[in-house]
Amino acid sequence: MRRLILALLLAVAPVMAMAAGPTQSIAVGEVLRGRFVQERHLKGFNAPLRTEGHFVLAPGRGLIWRAEKPFAVTTVITANGLVQEVGGSETMRMPAARLPFLARLYDMLGGALAGDWRALDTDFIVTRTGDDRHWQVDLTPRKADDPIAMPFRAITAQGSRFVETVAMVKQDGDSDTLSFLDQALSSAPLTAEETAALDTLAK
Amino acid sequence: MIRIAAVLWLVVVALAGGYLALRLHHGLAFRTDLMALLPREQQDPTIQRANDTVTRALSQRVLLLVGGPDRARARDAASELMRQLTATGLVEITTSGFDKDRLQRLGALYFPYRRGLLAEDDRRRLLDGKGGEVALRALSQVFGFVGMADARLVQRDPFLLMQGFFAALPLPLSKLTLDDGMLSMNDGGTTWVLIAGRLTDEPYALDVQRRLIGPLDEAVAHLGPGLEVLRLGAVFFAKAGAEQAMSETSSIGVASTLGTVLLVLVAFRALAPLWLSLLVIGVGVMTALSASLWAFGELHVGALMFGVSLIGVAVDYSLQYCSEIFAGDDAPPRRRLRRVLMGITLGTATTVIGYLTLFLAPFPGLHQIAAFSAVGLVAAWLTVVLWLPLLDRSKPPRHGAGMLAAAAGFLALWENPRHHRARVAVLGLALGIGAVGLLRLHADDDVRRMQSLSAGLVAQQQRIQSLIGSTGGTQFFLIQAPDDETALQREEQLIARLRPLVGQGALSGFQALAQYVPSAARQRENRALVHAQLDGALLEQQVRQLGLTQPPAAADDGGPVLTLAEASGAGGPLSFLSMLLLDGTAGEALHVVTLDHAARLDLLAQAAEGLPGVRLVDPAGDFSALLGNYRNRAMLLLALSAALMAPLLAWRYGVKRGLWVMLPPSLAVALAPAVRALAGGAFTFFDAMALVLVLSVGVDYAVFCAETSGARKPVTMLAVAMAACTALMSFGLLALSDVLAVRHFGATMLVGILLAFLLAPLARSGAGSVR
Repeated sequence: MRRLILALLLAVAPVMAMAAGPTQSIAVGEVLRGRFVQERHLKGFNAPLRTEGHFVLAPGRGLIWRAEKPFAVTTVITANGLVQEVGGSETMRMPAARLPFLARLYDMLGGALAGDWRALDTDFIVTRTGDDRHWQVDLTPRKADDPIAMPFRAITAQGSRFVETVAMVKQDGDSDTLSFLDQALSSAPLTAEETAALDTLAK
Repeated sequence: MIRIAAVLWLVVVALAGGYLALRLHHGLAFRTDLMALLPREQQDPTIQRANDTVTRALSQRVLLLVGGPDRARARDAASELMRQLTATGLVEITTSGFDKDRLQRLGALYFPYRRGLLAEDDRRRLLDGKGGEVALRALSQVFGFVGMADARLVQRDPFLLMQGFFAALPLPLSKLTLDDGMLSMNDGGTTWVLIAGRLTDEPYALDVQRRLIGPLDEAVAHLGPGLEVLRLGAVFFAKAGAEQAMSETSSIGVASTLGTVLLVLVAFRALAPLWLSLLVIGVGVMTALSASLWAFGELHVGALMFGVSLIGVAVDYSLQYCSEIFAGDDAPPRRRLRRVLMGITLGTATTVIGYLTLFLAPFPGLHQIAAFSAVGLVAAWLTVVLWLPLLDRSKPPRHGAGMLAAAAGFLALWENPRHHRARVAVLGLALGIGAVGLLRLHADDDVRRMQSLSAGLVAQQQRIQSLIGSTGGTQFFLIQAPDDETALQREEQLIARLRPLVGQGALSGFQALAQYVPSAARQRENRALVHAQLDGALLEQQVRQLGLTQPPAAADDGGPVLTLAEASGAGGPLSFLSMLLLDGTAGEALHVVTLDHAARLDLLAQAAEGLPGVRLVDPAGDFSALLGNYRNRAMLLLALSAALMAPLLAWRYGVKRGLWVMLPPSLAVALAPAVRALAGGAFTFFDAMALVLVLSVGVDYAVFCAETSGARKPVTMLAVAMAACTALMSFGLLALSDVLAVRHFGATMLVGILLAFLLAPLARSGAGSVR
């Protein structure tokens, strides 16, 4: 559960931060593609767990998160929920009905994209610094006493035109850093393969 | 002499009245569950106990689902309802037990034993020698988008075996997630919040229903628009059922009382017969109620409902007496009583015999009805015999001629030699109809159809089930073994057979102790499997790929395994397991495996075959079978009560005439179900019980007809006609009930009494006068 919320936040963090800071916003019908590098700093591990891959974000449709190194795992998140695949076989499926948090996340997301801060404001104190070329957004949870409802101690996003890094510190001190590279906005429709991936959740 | 007896009877009635007043003052305890009226199971006490435990746990459950388009408002409403429920002092909220550290505590419980706990999928992979797949599954969870496992967990359990076991646990209510302290789910824009509780008192007690549902209804009414509250729980069904029974009892009671009053007023055109009849019934009911409360301590609503109707038969005796006024010979009250005394005494005796045979049916509710009716009838008879002549100041009426002529005309149909052929033809036709009807007779014993459940609550239950998943069925497997370990091993065998059945849709799921706590043998086997398949090269590779600083400490596979006692301890995260763990006798373990949506009981019963001590228990099915069994026994009771009445009649009339007297009620008993069958009605236990009463009442009518002679014949016939009318009004109206069981009873009574009345003059066919 906690992991899932973390993952979901990870998924939408770029978008949330984007709406908080970036000068470039994405409209419905546009698609943002890019590469990501995720580093997880965990106590007891030699080095951070590093995952690299590509992502596709289509507002109104969902997110495809495709890890390639060290391990190929594809995760698709839409308003219906979440599905994870390894080598073509499904290893996890989580319908949104089971996740009130996911539904709220979509509220936040929708609100943030429309420039409405109230949704995000209910759970976080949002602080924005810097200018359009180099901005930073800090999210501090309003309620931090329940690690299941709120797994984070702090979230920080930095970027310029798009979000470039997101750092998340968990309540227990472990942290995750996400870097987004080679991001490009396209108004071309989703590829057939991407549409098919997003549609797996409609089943 | 008779005056002394009358005064003594007054003392008894006054005592009964005093006792009743005392009980009423303290508040009466009524029971309302239909099951209490019906038989206790005459079977294995172990199954009975298991049945009771499972049924009680189910019947005490209270579930509310609060939904609204706005999350915050739905949550506020849920908090308010929870507060109200707790304030009643009758409900223990169990959803608050889903606190935030429950999963952590569950993890802490299982963690030391993790090497012996394997999810079925992982176990299958290891058995097939596919340890690599297990490693891959774990890696995908670590590096995948979802599922960064807890760092400390990965270090100690690099294959995430425990996480797999955890995810496969059939935890209750797992369609819901914990959202800020409340179990919630989202369904098409509606946020549903679950409130689950356990009723700490009897769901079938009217008082408990009132104290719980009253405040709840009020709180729901104040929630404001846009919010919806769905309910599930035996207490809600029981209240709806009790309300229905109460409103039916009062409406049927009012209709039958009004009808009787009107009938007596119109027939006698005087008030005296009315108030004398009401006195007779009043004393009967009051004495019966008082005596039953004294004997049983409490009374079932159904027993009260049936019993009051049955005492209605007592009006026959007062009508027999009062109708003598129409004889027109101006005889004094004492002499009028003497003329009907033999008839009503024989009538009371045979009817009491009929009611007392109900005592031979081992149904507690029927015992109450039998005692209630028998006491009431005897009290009514005593009142007629001892009080009525003393209280009666009636003058001979001048309007009776028309009614007497009609009664005489009806009798002539039976006695006039001119109609002989027609009579034979009618009787022949009746027998023909009877034969055809009896051929079409079919029995129906399904208990689920006998209770009428509130349609609104059934719809709410279905919506709750479609939202949060199964809420538990009434069928279950009972596992009886010498000890817990053996029981767990049998469960594991059973589970292996049930898994494919879930895939086939024979059931949607099940909860077994062995899923939470594998048997010691299985845990050791799993440890060996993990050691053989995963430790070694695969572990080294996994540690390297994960980038762990060091491999996990070497496992001690010889250590203790997780035991049932440790897992199901009170206050622990798995304390709900105690519901599946029954108290066996010494040297015996009793486990329950509950089933969700069991659709194919035949396949489930097959699954238990060959597993010693494993049985499928289907309480509703057993109950239906039992109802069928008792339907047959009721027919035996019927034969028995006829056999018990026969010597009394033979003593009075001799064998041949006695047989003629038995003929009309016997024909009514045989033809009534035939006519019902022709109308498409199934024959149930309740029809059979009605026939027992048709026999008693029919014998009354036949005896009244047999006792009369000469000029009194039309008078007697008139009294019997009025008696039949009142009986039709009190029993026939039960045919309008919404409760199927009561409707069956009423419909058979309606047809049976009509037949008993129409055929009653046949009882005179045995020639000459008695006196």
